Amino acid sequence: MKTLFFKPFEKYSENKLLLVGSISMILGTILTYALNCRFVGVFQMVFDDITIIQSLIDSLIIMSCLTIFLFISAKIIYKKTRLIDIIVTALISFIPFYILPIFNINDTLKESTKELRKFAVPDMVVQIPLETLLPLIGFSIFGLIILIWSIALLYNGFKTAANAKGIKAIIIFGGALVLADIASRYLIHQLN
Amino acid sequence: MKKLPVNCPSCESPLVASQLSCSDCETVISGSYSLPILLQLSKEDQDFIFEFILTSGSLKKMAAKMEKSYPTVRNKLDDILEKINNLKTN
Repeated sequence: MKTLFFKPFEKYSENKLLLVGSISMILGTILTYALNCRFVGVFQMVFDDITIIQSLIDSLIIMSCLTIFLFISAKIIYKKTRLIDIIVTALISFIPFYILPIFNINDTLKESTKELRKFAVPDMVVQIPLETLLPLIGFSIFGLIILIWSIALLYNGFKTAANAKGIKAIIIFGGALVLADIASRYLIHQLN
Repeated sequence: MKKLPVNCPSCESPLVASQLSCSDCETVISGSYSLPILLQLSKEDQDFIFEFILTSGSLKKMAAKMEKSYPTVRNKLDDILEKINNLKTN
């Protein structure tokens, strides 16, 4: 179980991982679009009405940014790193994020967020109704778990692809993630 | 199968073969022979190299046989190469 959910890159071939990752990306993109959500960066999801094409372009930009920055970083650490191992790392590690839009069925979170904005005045903060706050608190806690799971998958995939060890590898990996997030946010904002 | 000790259990220095004997005529040879590098590796690493030879050096075949991914097997081989290089320089 631990291997399946956290270290699939150590056991399964790149062909299997590529197939699962690609199917998940397509299904995840459709789900994200259908539930009025949008990934506007590697680590940011918003509630927005967009077209399926825009949703697909968002996914492609995020995957491309993750792949490019992780591949360059992996090559710095280990010259024999294969591109396919980084591509499957990006695809598989994003699967947990596709669970998040499910929280927005019937626009639950979108409406809660709208409702919350009405209380964005210092005196009214204490008056926020619990039924508005609870879905957002639940989503935030679950979102944090998903984020940790996804980063664990990303790091394990990177470690396997680049035979990465030690603190230097962790720093390079962290830097690559931050750059991928910034680049994907910028490109989605500019192009889509 | 008994595990061949390669390091001294007391001071952890590399052990040497000081006696060899013929199991047929019981001739005994004494001396000080250092162990080959491959024998100084762990049993797991020796088994890996043995499998590597049996698959004609194909990491893809090894990965399929070991039910591991290609990069995992390649990383293991690289780790063993690093150990061998360290043993050669020591």
